[in-house]
Amino acid sequence: MTALSRGARALFLLGAAVFFGLPLLWLLLAPTRTADDLTTGSPLGFGSLGNVGDAWSHLTSYNDGEITLWIGNSIVYAAASVALALLLCVPAGYALAKHDFAGRRALLTLSIVTMILPPAALVLPLYLEMSALDLTGTVWSVILPLSFYPFGVYLAFLHFQANLPDSLLDAGRVDGASELRLFWSVAVPLARPAIALIAFFGFVRCWTDFFLPFVMLSDDRTFTLQLGLMSLLQSTGAVNNSSGFADLDIHQPEAALAGLVACAPLLIGFVLAQRFLRTGLLAGAEKG
Amino acid sequence: MKTLTTPRPPAVAATRPVTSSDRRRSPRTAAVWILVGPYTVFLVLFGLAPAGYALWTSFVDNGSFSGGRDWAAVFHDYRLGDAAAHVSTYLLLWLPILLLTVLSLAFTLHARPGRTTSALQLVYYLPGAVTGSAAALLWLFMVSPDSSPFAPLLKLMDVKSATDALSGGSVIAVLTVMGVAVHAGGWIVVLYGALNALPKDVLEAAQVDGASAWRTMWHVKLPMVRTYVAFVLISSFASGSQVFVEPTVLSTGAPGQISPTWSVNQLAYTYATQDGDFGKAAALSLAMLAVGVLAAWIVITRTRMYATDSSDSR
Repeated sequence: MTALSRGARALFLLGAAVFFGLPLLWLLLAPTRTADDLTTGSPLGFGSLGNVGDAWSHLTSYNDGEITLWIGNSIVYAAASVALALLLCVPAGYALAKHDFAGRRALLTLSIVTMILPPAALVLPLYLEMSALDLTGTVWSVILPLSFYPFGVYLAFLHFQANLPDSLLDAGRVDGASELRLFWSVAVPLARPAIALIAFFGFVRCWTDFFLPFVMLSDDRTFTLQLGLMSLLQSTGAVNNSSGFADLDIHQPEAALAGLVACAPLLIGFVLAQRFLRTGLLAGAEKG
Repeated sequence: MKTLTTPRPPAVAATRPVTSSDRRRSPRTAAVWILVGPYTVFLVLFGLAPAGYALWTSFVDNGSFSGGRDWAAVFHDYRLGDAAAHVSTYLLLWLPILLLTVLSLAFTLHARPGRTTSALQLVYYLPGAVTGSAAALLWLFMVSPDSSPFAPLLKLMDVKSATDALSGGSVIAVLTVMGVAVHAGGWIVVLYGALNALPKDVLEAAQVDGASAWRTMWHVKLPMVRTYVAFVLISSFASGSQVFVEPTVLSTGAPGQISPTWSVNQLAYTYATQDGDFGKAAALSLAMLAVGVLAAWIVITRTRMYATDSSDSR
């Protein structure tokens, strides 16, 4: 690589980093500033850490610290949905990529159809289904629909299709391994990076999903973090000054802090999942 | 469910070229259904059943067949034309820019993987992690020239206030920038992961043959991740034609600037939540689905995405 092209590459990546990074840098600094300073001060100014503490105590003063309850709920819903989703979609993606069976095309087609179905069409029937099963308001009304994750099936399908050589499976068959054993002992260990990726995106989906819990849950003690924060911020008018009542000290810095709290687990999850993506476990698998 | 378990008609099987996977079909059916069975149950319960019910309610009102009344009402809604025009313009702008951003960044990162790659991927992902009210707050400040770190850029585009940025023709530019910032990071991670999982010996062979970085990307790497690019295209087309989050987020912060029925999907939500008319919401959602499925079908047949034999998918 010449010095010129290396420089151009660095400049391109850095420019993109500024474009994607600046909004988050602003959000990171916002809780340290006052609401007035946000609109009049310099765009990337730093206020004080004391302001962050104040903002947090304002957030937790809502219904005796209900925010911690929401964080706990979100973790439970997301962990259960992701675990169940992985159990469903990794084997399915593998079978769809590596076996030809009656109904394979139908499954692939119906999966993509449900994947691109607008949520507006699904959520109300799901609500009726859950209420017919007498599950609305329970954790299952959120966990079960979220663990149906066709996007994850597609990621698994694409991964096994492109990266798991048939010859590797045939070698296992010659050694007398059963089909299920091949999946568990050959395919799954080699697919760890892909599984981490599916788990990460599944987690993002469960963590950020708003409409499903919004429809299913009515008791605010069962709310997810997204749902709770939205109702907290909207009832206090932190984002939109024209609505809400002002008896709670919830303003723009508090909204920014709430946003950071809500996206922190995603960023941690990203860093954890990324460790697997770098390793390139499959390199030379067929030769070895 | 029945169509899933009926065996493929022999005539169809006979006309297909015999591949290695045909040989090992029948004895393994049991194992295959242990693998896909649980997912299939969930697909029926939480995908097909609700979708089927939505289709049913779009044709049936209060227990009696209403014909295409809901569908006709939707297509005669004066708001639909505007919403469809907004969404088409958005797609024309956003989809090519998104695809170009995702491809160029993923390939540039992969050309020379290093320690900084992971850090950069995280940075590219950051705007996608901010959702809900926080996103509304964030993006309103980003388009306000007084407080935005992008102020010089906004002034260059002659934007004097947030209201300026969210009115008239510039709203589509703001939504496009926001849409790219929010969605690009996730796809960069997917594509980079796909590139990273490619067999190293093929890439080394290209290098030994003296292929330039550009040629390796264009003639070796891109064809090998073709199915992933197809997947990005299908998903992004669907999510773009159903754009909901970006206009909603901006309109919650600046009421009156962006219509609550700006996009087609927002109109469907309005039917369901404001009017309580689920038949119309379902009809419009299914119409959006039809557009997405048509696009998906074109991409899938063009890229032979469903091929099982790994040698013919390359």
